[in-house]
Amino acid sequence: MTLATLLVVAAAVFAIGLFGVLARRHAIGVLLSIELMFNAVNLAIVSIAWSRGLLAGVVLVLFGIAITVAEIAVGLALVLLASRVAKSVILDDLSELKG
Amino acid sequence: MTDALLVLAGPLAAFALLSVLPPLRRSGKPAAALSIAGIGVSLLAAVALFARIRAAGAPSILEIVWAPMTTGPSITFGLLADGISASMAVLVAFVALLVQVYSLSYMSEEKPAAFGRYYTYHSLFAFAMLGLVLAHNLLQTYVFWELVGLGSYLLIGFWFEKPAAGRAALKAFWTTRLGDVGFAIGIVVLWSSAGTFTFTELFAKADSGLLTGTVLTLGVAGIYLGAMGKSAQFPFHIWLPDAMEGPTPVSALIHAATMVAAGVYLMVRIAPLLAHTPQVATVVFSIGVLTAFLAATMALVESDIKRILAFSTVSQLGFMMAAVGAGSASAAYFHLVTHAFFKALLFLAAGSLIHAVHTNDIFKMGRLARVMPVTTACFAAGALALSGVIPTAGFFSKDEVLAAVLAGGHPVGFAILVVTAGMTAFYIGRVFFVAMMGPTNAPGHPHEPPAAMKTPLIVLAVLALVAGALAPLIPRLFAASIAPQALAFEHAPFLVPALGTIAAGIGIALALAGYQLRVFDPANVRRAFRPLVTVLERRWYVDDVFEFGYRFAYLKISNAVGWVDRYIVDGLVNAVTWATWLFAGRLTAMQNGRVQSALYATAFGLVVLVWLAWAQ
Amino acid sequence: MRDLAFFGLAACLLAAAVAVVTAKSLFRAVFALSAALVATAGLYLLLSAPLLAAVQILLYTGGVLTLVVFALVVAGANTEGARWRQPLPAAFMSLAVFVVLAVSARALPAASHVSGLESGKDVGLLLFSDYLVPFELLSVLLLGAVFGALLLARKDRPE
Repeated sequence: MTLATLLVVAAAVFAIGLFGVLARRHAIGVLLSIELMFNAVNLAIVSIAWSRGLLAGVVLVLFGIAITVAEIAVGLALVLLASRVAKSVILDDLSELKG
Repeated sequence: MTDALLVLAGPLAAFALLSVLPPLRRSGKPAAALSIAGIGVSLLAAVALFARIRAAGAPSILEIVWAPMTTGPSITFGLLADGISASMAVLVAFVALLVQVYSLSYMSEEKPAAFGRYYTYHSLFAFAMLGLVLAHNLLQTYVFWELVGLGSYLLIGFWFEKPAAGRAALKAFWTTRLGDVGFAIGIVVLWSSAGTFTFTELFAKADSGLLTGTVLTLGVAGIYLGAMGKSAQFPFHIWLPDAMEGPTPVSALIHAATMVAAGVYLMVRIAPLLAHTPQVATVVFSIGVLTAFLAATMALVESDIKRILAFSTVSQLGFMMAAVGAGSASAAYFHLVTHAFFKALLFLAAGSLIHAVHTNDIFKMGRLARVMPVTTACFAAGALALSGVIPTAGFFSKDEVLAAVLAGGHPVGFAILVVTAGMTAFYIGRVFFVAMMGPTNAPGHPHEPPAAMKTPLIVLAVLALVAGALAPLIPRLFAASIAPQALAFEHAPFLVPALGTIAAGIGIALALAGYQLRVFDPANVRRAFRPLVTVLERRWYVDDVFEFGYRFAYLKISNAVGWVDRYIVDGLVNAVTWATWLFAGRLTAMQNGRVQSALYATAFGLVVLVWLAWAQ
Repeated sequence: MRDLAFFGLAACLLAAAVAVVTAKSLFRAVFALSAALVATAGLYLLLSAPLLAAVQILLYTGGVLTLVVFALVVAGANTEGARWRQPLPAAFMSLAVFVVLAVSARALPAASHVSGLESGKDVGLLLFSDYLVPFELLSVLLLGAVFGALLLARKDRPE
């Protein structure tokens, strides 16, 4: 369990999450994929903190989690709003800003 | 110098008033009166000026600094009155006055508005020509030169309802313009080396060797090009025969006595420079001889009286230029003066004939001597002068020219000119015998013209006969000029007048034999020489060469340029437009409103950044 | 022993991640995500950060995912038609990102540190000393998020 392996794993999860963000059509599906990416980043930070003995990494991740929570809340509120207003949560339909 | 200023002011004032006051201009007779008054004032002032210069024996110069410059020479406006310019001014004003008086009757059938317009143009022309004569530097000469060209254009195309007149006016303008390009280049070349436009300064610089070599040669050559255009030297002579579309008095003034003489006058003016450029002088001489000969040949086959006189003018101008080229500006100037008298006379007389029988064709005239004796006598005087028969003025001046050519060491040219003199006598004799003698009467009821037309004829006829007495005056005029080292009066060796008279005699005799006595039938001769006659009738195909050159070169170049403009220049612009639209279309596809497309870009940026960071 | 746990947890994490992005039904995706988060918590434990593991499970798995489930219920969990849109470019881009990141990760100096990382006490001390200001700001942020979410998601009252 070296730092490199940990980081590779984190990179892999990040890439998978990116795929989900780019390819998923449902808005909440995208939000879930974003969660995955956040998770991967947190893992990476903790790995580096662990390898260097830095406590600050843990604090950083704590903050990160808290912020993520806030972000998800607002994001979901937006999705609900979209489902009410545009009657759809499929991202393809939410392209008013085209052109 | 008030007299010099008055010379210019008279016609200028008349022109100015007539242009800005349309009611005055359209009133007809009053406009004519104003114009004649203007030129009358001009003539009186010119005579006064001439007398003053003769008495003083030296030139008088008025210089006004027009644009003072701290670096380099200032631009000056000046009047130069010396022996040559003062006498020329008298000549111009005098002939212009006669022509304007003649026109009172000749143009009387015009509507008042057109009549007034005619006199307005005459005043403009007179002003321009006098300004040219009295100019004291090359730049001023050029300005008035162009004005003269404008006046000529306006007067040739006076009857603008006739398409032929419009074309002729344009042809005159374009041809002389072509020469004027050379003139302008010549002026600039001289200025670039000498730093001045003024005649006196140029002569001083050339004499002292400051202005020399290629520069001087190019400059003088350029100026000669301008003179070629105005004085109808080959191949720029093509406009003069066509310019006969204008009214006959106009032809008398412009195309006999004044405008076409301007080229010769200019060459006489810069004769001191020409003396330093022998190559240019040789060219001037050769072209002069060529012009004289070719024009005379073309006159042989013409039947339009004005055209015959036009070719005759071209031919005589060739004589004058030959004299200049041979080194004798005084001979050229003398011939210029006498030619002005007798050619104007011939044109005005022709005008009377045309007015009487309403046709220009000499073969439609006949026996006019009976019904128009005064006109016939005047015409005869002019014809004798033109042929150079003793003791007319033409005899003395033509002999001066021939003597100068021979003395200049050009035996071949001399021989050609003698032959040309013979042809001259023949063609003018032909006109006389066909139109005024001959077996058959002219149709209709021709009669003598009214006094306004007769009087100028008589005056000019007298001058044509006696002006030979002016011969000794000419060198004194040159002595009182700005280039006084010029030219002494040499009596021609006896050979010259002898040959001249013999040639004239042969010419007249041939004409008499063919057309009056019917010893031989000229029509047979014409048939026998059919191919040659065709060439002459087609005017040696010079017009065709010009037209071909125009069509081929000019139009082809225009088409090529147009093609480049349409396909290459526009094509480039269109290609840019097309590319813009293409990319715009592609780019628009990126703005599809979906957030994930933006994320692609972000991810791509991330990849690039990390790669860049770790590629170090 | 450690390594075995690591590989197992990592494998679970990766499998769950794949499931999140490929599941057709979003409920499946939510559960897959919770599995991934738990696996990550396990990894935190291995990395001597037990506080973090606990927070992860409590907040993330417990709180966040519950919210998502509620939202799914309201908004609808089925995607009509395909799950994905243009999967190939997305896959290509993800692959590129992975390669770039992995390559740079391997370039890091290797280290494996095993000493105890933290205790809750140490974290708390750090939080209230060096990181006090961010901590306070975070509470403001959460307040803002609450209000924002409420405002956005409430039903429009007929005026």
